[in-house]
Amino acid sequence: METVFHLEGACRSFGAVRALREVDLTVEKGERVALIGASGSGKTTLLRLIGAQLAPDAGAVRVMESDPLGLGEGGLRHLRSRLAFLPQDLGLVPNLRVIQNVVAGRCGRRSLWGTLRDLILPGVEARREIFALLERVGIAEKMYDRLDTLSGGQRQRVAVARALFQEPVALLADEPVSAVDPARARNLLELLSQLCEEEGLTLVVSMHQLELAKEFFPRLVGLKEGRVTFDGSTGELSEDQLTELFRLEGGGGAG
Amino acid sequence: MNGLGTMWRGKRLVVLALLVIFAACAVRLGPKVVGLSEGADPFGAMGRFFGAAFAPSFADQNPSLPPDATPFLERMGSDLLRTFRYAFIAMSLAVPTALVLGFFSSSAWWPGAMTYGRPGGSRRLLRGVLRGLRWSCRLLITLCRSIHELVWAMFFLSAVGDAPGTACVALALPFAGTLGKVFSELIDEQRQGPRAALLATGASPMQAFAATLLPQALPDLLTYVLYRFECALRSSAVLGFIGVETIGLGIRRSFNNLYFGEVWTQLYVLMIVVIAVDVIGARLRDRLNRGVLRRRAVAATSGSPPATERALRRTAPRDWLVRGGVLVTLGLVLLSWNLGERLTTDLSARQRSDRMGRFLTKLTPEPARPADKLAATGERLAALREHRGEVATWAADLWKRNGARALLTTVAIATAAIILAGLGTALLLPLGSRALARGEPFGVLGTATGAVRLFWEGLGFLTRGIFVLARSVPEYIYAFLLVALLGPSAWPLVFALAIHNVGILGRLWGEVMENERPEPSQQWVRSGASRGQTYLGSLAPLSFNRFLLFFFYRWETCVREATILGMLAISSLGYYISISRNYFHYDQMLFYVLLGAAVIFAGDLLSDWLRRRLRGGVVMS
Repeated sequence: METVFHLEGACRSFGAVRALREVDLTVEKGERVALIGASGSGKTTLLRLIGAQLAPDAGAVRVMESDPLGLGEGGLRHLRSRLAFLPQDLGLVPNLRVIQNVVAGRCGRRSLWGTLRDLILPGVEARREIFALLERVGIAEKMYDRLDTLSGGQRQRVAVARALFQEPVALLADEPVSAVDPARARNLLELLSQLCEEEGLTLVVSMHQLELAKEFFPRLVGLKEGRVTFDGSTGELSEDQLTELFRLEGGGGAG
Repeated sequence: MNGLGTMWRGKRLVVLALLVIFAACAVRLGPKVVGLSEGADPFGAMGRFFGAAFAPSFADQNPSLPPDATPFLERMGSDLLRTFRYAFIAMSLAVPTALVLGFFSSSAWWPGAMTYGRPGGSRRLLRGVLRGLRWSCRLLITLCRSIHELVWAMFFLSAVGDAPGTACVALALPFAGTLGKVFSELIDEQRQGPRAALLATGASPMQAFAATLLPQALPDLLTYVLYRFECALRSSAVLGFIGVETIGLGIRRSFNNLYFGEVWTQLYVLMIVVIAVDVIGARLRDRLNRGVLRRRAVAATSGSPPATERALRRTAPRDWLVRGGVLVTLGLVLLSWNLGERLTTDLSARQRSDRMGRFLTKLTPEPARPADKLAATGERLAALREHRGEVATWAADLWKRNGARALLTTVAIATAAIILAGLGTALLLPLGSRALARGEPFGVLGTATGAVRLFWEGLGFLTRGIFVLARSVPEYIYAFLLVALLGPSAWPLVFALAIHNVGILGRLWGEVMENERPEPSQQWVRSGASRGQTYLGSLAPLSFNRFLLFFFYRWETCVREATILGMLAISSLGYYISISRNYFHYDQMLFYVLLGAAVIFAGDLLSDWLRRRLRGGVVMS
């Protein structure tokens, strides 16, 4: 199997806050992993570390067999262009059309002029591709509508379509279902799992809803205060490990 | 209401300090408000002038014109067209320049976005170079802004000769500065999420700018450009007062001949034009923010076949009005460059360089002037270096003789004017507020009768109308009229600046109040407070910091304007600037201009700092 992400003793601090402490993690190609933990446990930092957006203070990071620290700007761009990232706020531009938001996903492999052309007069090939993608996520009829006329769920689908248009090796999603009602959360996770299975994508999602994580992800990684507390298949997870994961430090089971 | 004390804590001190400062400025400017010569009758003149407001004239008031002279309306029409033309040309120069300057002084292209790990030596060097570029852009922006367009125009016209093109370039310079500054602020204050998302997928900072920040900022950029166009129209009109043939020249001529009816006709036309642009701007902002909706739904019913990409594209919602507007604007820009009188002078290259050389010689401080009027640059610089000490004494002498006094007066005029405007606006604001000036303030307690409702809504409309009218006429024209009516003292300038700024503050502060949360004020109304109490107890203190923000921003513009207005009355730097120009003492003129620029530069930094302290990242220029 091919290793997509590999962390060894990775640490990262922001000022005095130690967000990650000596984290070891290996993710193989095609795996679907949920990072679970309370807020502030270091999930987002871990995602940004494996997404080559943030460098570790200490320890080693390897993304698709290469060390991002050793890459120049061009190499880094190329590496990032193969990692799709779904931020919590989706990162879409509200006053642009759906197609313009989706087409921007391929910036990493295009020149500046190519991007400008895509935004203003997208080519036939790109249009056909985007239409097909939007059909797959179920909002093809919105292709030429302004993003701010879409509902929250539809916007999430636009973000997913943008990630797929990027043709990535792996898809990283930061808390995609935290601000969403349960039905929509289930819907989105179903869509993500299905797409990743079809495309053979590696999927790493951070979340704090344990039930959903157990339902959709074969592998769970628990984080607490910047440390990995468990890492294994969903079936192996015991009740004790669970209560431990969400217990507040020093509070003795507050709340 | 015991809330009053706590709500105004600290703010009372600010108000008190402003009143004390106003008193100090008033003492500095002296008690003489009317400065006419013996025997003059200011009230009679004023009566005649304001009486003519109700009888604008549509034909020449001059009875002894030759029969083949161009009639008044036609003259006014072509003056107005020229005013538009120069504003268009200036804006078409200023906007592209400002885009470049604004982009490079924003943080959008900052390669820091791509940094990963610790920066190496070469990257640190690159960053140093880029930081230098960024700061030089900011410096350039501030320099362009610190010198008023009229001063640029006077320099250029003296250096190159009377040509409308030079006036346009002069107009474009400070506009490019202001636009550039606001562009960079607008770009920086957009939501950074979309940009970060693209950078995470390997986009370069430039690509991320093109695909996220630029489209995000575009509605604001366009409306701001339109607002500046409105300003350009006013400035273009004012250029008439130094001889460029725009509507300002017509106003001056008519006024000097005491044809007050003609003056008012031209003033009304200018107001209508400016207000029309204002209204178009408001509509545009609304439309861009809302977008247009899809007219026809494609495959809306579940039974019909799925829509094709082609059909979707064909029926995509497109705002033809905005697109058409952009095309028309481009067309008008092309027309303004190519139709009408020539923009350049008829001088030959040799004549032009002679003229430039003589100008440069006169611009050199007197002690360091080369004997040869057409000396080469090297000789000029050598002479300057040689007579360094004498130039310093010359400058110190000017500073002691007039400079210091004029500088102080300029600042005093601007400060007194903005405080006066602030007071006036604070008084008028509750009457013009959409929330207060209505039957039921803040929509609570629905007991108002029809008459009460009509009264308050009428009053609100009227007050907002006063704001609009007050800001539609440039300060310079107010000052020209007031100086003519009251005589040349500093106070007419203060009043002129104050009137214009009441209009501007009225709009800015009104918007601040409308954006304020209504709940606290509704609470006041519910507990029985009157409109005045609600305003003083809740609305005003809640919006106070943002009021101050705009207050300081306007103070800075007032200093810029006060420098210029002095040309009309015997005070402030403007007087010495125009006097030295009239005697061709360009060296002294340059000295006073630089003095003014230094004040504005300092004011710029000061108000920037104050604004950042009051609240980060609010844009309005």
